[in-house]
Amino acid sequence: MLLNADCSTLSVARHVGCKLRSDKKQLLAPNAGCYFAVISATIATLCTLLSASLYAAQLQSSVISSVLWSASSHNFKRQNYQLTVEPEFILRFDNSAKLTALSRLRSISLDALSPENVTDRAYSPYSKPLFIGNSSEFELREFYLEFPSENYYFTLGKQQVVWGKADGLKVLDIVNPQSYREFILEDFDDSRIPQWMANIETGVGEWDAQFLWIPDQSYHVLANDGALYTPTSPLLLPQPQIGVSSVEVKPFKRPARTLMDSDVGLRLSRFWKGWDLSLNYLYQYDNFALLYQRRSVTTNGLHVEMEPQYRRTHVLGGSFSNAFDNWVLRGELAYFSDRYFLAVGSDSDGISKGKEMSYVLGLDWAGLENTLISGQLFQSVALNRQSATVRDKTDSTVSLLVNHTLLNETVELRLVWLASTNIGDGLFRLRASYEWQDNLKTWISSDTYYGSREGIFGQFDDNDRLTVGIEMAFE
Amino acid sequence: MKATLLFIVLISICATPVFAQSSISSSETVLPTGEEVAAHINSRDEGKSVSRKLSIEMRDKRGKIRQRETKSYRKYFAGEKRTVIFYLSPKNIKDTAFLTYDYNDPELEDNQWLYLPALRKVRRISASDRGDYFLGTDMTYEDIKLETRVSTADFNFQTIGTCAIDDKPGLQIEGTPKTPEIARELGYSKTQSCVDSEIWMVRTSQFWDIKGNLLKTVTISNIEQIQGIWTQHNIDVENHKTGHTTGLTFSEVDYQSPVSDDIFTTNAIKRGL
Repeated sequence: MLLNADCSTLSVARHVGCKLRSDKKQLLAPNAGCYFAVISATIATLCTLLSASLYAAQLQSSVISSVLWSASSHNFKRQNYQLTVEPEFILRFDNSAKLTALSRLRSISLDALSPENVTDRAYSPYSKPLFIGNSSEFELREFYLEFPSENYYFTLGKQQVVWGKADGLKVLDIVNPQSYREFILEDFDDSRIPQWMANIETGVGEWDAQFLWIPDQSYHVLANDGALYTPTSPLLLPQPQIGVSSVEVKPFKRPARTLMDSDVGLRLSRFWKGWDLSLNYLYQYDNFALLYQRRSVTTNGLHVEMEPQYRRTHVLGGSFSNAFDNWVLRGELAYFSDRYFLAVGSDSDGISKGKEMSYVLGLDWAGLENTLISGQLFQSVALNRQSATVRDKTDSTVSLLVNHTLLNETVELRLVWLASTNIGDGLFRLRASYEWQDNLKTWISSDTYYGSREGIFGQFDDNDRLTVGIEMAFE
Repeated sequence: MKATLLFIVLISICATPVFAQSSISSSETVLPTGEEVAAHINSRDEGKSVSRKLSIEMRDKRGKIRQRETKSYRKYFAGEKRTVIFYLSPKNIKDTAFLTYDYNDPELEDNQWLYLPALRKVRRISASDRGDYFLGTDMTYEDIKLETRVSTADFNFQTIGTCAIDDKPGLQIEGTPKTPEIARELGYSKTQSCVDSEIWMVRTSQFWDIKGNLLKTVTISNIEQIQGIWTQHNIDVENHKTGHTTGLTFSEVDYQSPVSDDIFTTNAIKRGL
């Protein structure tokens, strides 16, 4: 009865949502009204779909507080306090339907890491967090309805979809974009940007099929100028060139057609003779903006206009894993039909079009008690480039993970090492955590970069950090 | 023919010092062999499928208690047994799920998967991880998979005497790993179990580590018939090396409601309950 009442109220909000969508300026300047209109529309749909009774409601929350010292190797000069509250609300209905809402309120004391100090234009209006003051944000992280119907399983709403078998390196885990506000230091679960989408799963013979329709156009979010993890590597950003007198960065050119600019994906997966196999296809906008450059000669010298825009690519790939004695072999592969690399030289538009093949091969060894040792090789090969590129043709990264638990898994020790073999830079991550009680955990971690500043990791050599954190859960 | 066999068995028993010293109550009693006892244990009716709630209480030597609530399902398929455990609470482990395919053919390695919600990925686990402790409990992955059964593929069993179960005699069997490699993999050099020969259920077990030290004691209790099937409601494990204990309590045991095949898939453990 209560649900019915809510539905009629929410239909008004849905109407407001339609008006917002028809207004282009509103699209570029998202606000709370638009945000809630989407939520309202989803709940209204839910109410229509469900002729079921609510039989269980569950509220759980986490409060995570951390203190972070961040600085160059010899000088711990910057200090940051971060407080995160993550309430999760689940409604269960008697026809196996389930509604999940997960939100996040985050407050950070350091401006250089503040939530709004990012390329917020990369968010779609429907997925953008609400920035509160200079240091806080509120985000509806996930909001989706799950229900089975005949041979289908529907998950509709704002969600994360994770593909692939790799740890810490992404080849197929590219359905959702990611926030690089803290480079790759945040857990992927926190840095992945959930999107509004329809996720439909069904069985097709011996295979499980997953179809994705993603009308929500959000892209990778990067740290802004002056932030702690602003990218500076020439592998990611065009560098100032001799003779250039002025540079103008134009507004991001975003795909704006909700239907035509949707991403779509398909995954087929099965278990076959001991192998976990998947075939993946994605037709998406590359989540990194291309930095097209236009050069013109003015009276003051050479003028460069940069026009960030997004381009589509087909992604075709697959993954596998199997266990052999103490070992687990796993891997994933992806072919990108349209890639745009930063070009060398000043006579082009700054971009070299080509294709890309990426793969990860991983080997896990569990020969020691309560210990996992895992090594991975990641390689990206640029193919059919139109002109010389800043990046090498083959880009290789290796990773090592050592994880050990003690005292009935109340203590966890972890080492992660990532290294680029092309440039020789890398990142060491150490973490020790202790679970005092079921709902109380503390940890200490360090992240140390090394190597050339031209490298993906070495560019943050001045941003080594030490973190102490505490997490409490409430039910 | 039967009398001849009985005679041979009796001669064998009398010729074995262990049996001569153990508490065989009557010289006329012929004890079944360890392999026979193991076969009886493993052929005990467990239902084609079962669903149940499982509460896990872990207590360290200082008295600190951690509790988990889970829902588990088990189903027999042609040539294999599939088991899945979904963690429901607390929040720090909620949505974690474990899936195993246990094949009858000893030549086939089991297949195991663990869904880790923090990674949102199903991780394949090596079957050789079976000696690792299962998510902080005092039971290994292998113990969880076997539950009240015994592995004749990994152990040679022999009957070493009788034991007392609720004032009734039971059968004491000893298991020794078939190879040093298996011993290392499982973390056990020897097991001894007291078996209730009326219902063919293990009631207590002791495990020795690979150095020969007593490692842990498992007690199975509160056994009742549910829908005609003998069912344990409590399994308590005490680790003598660490002082840590784990108590498993089964409830809402149901052998009759249908359990869908689809729940024993990696997609299902990713979705959760």
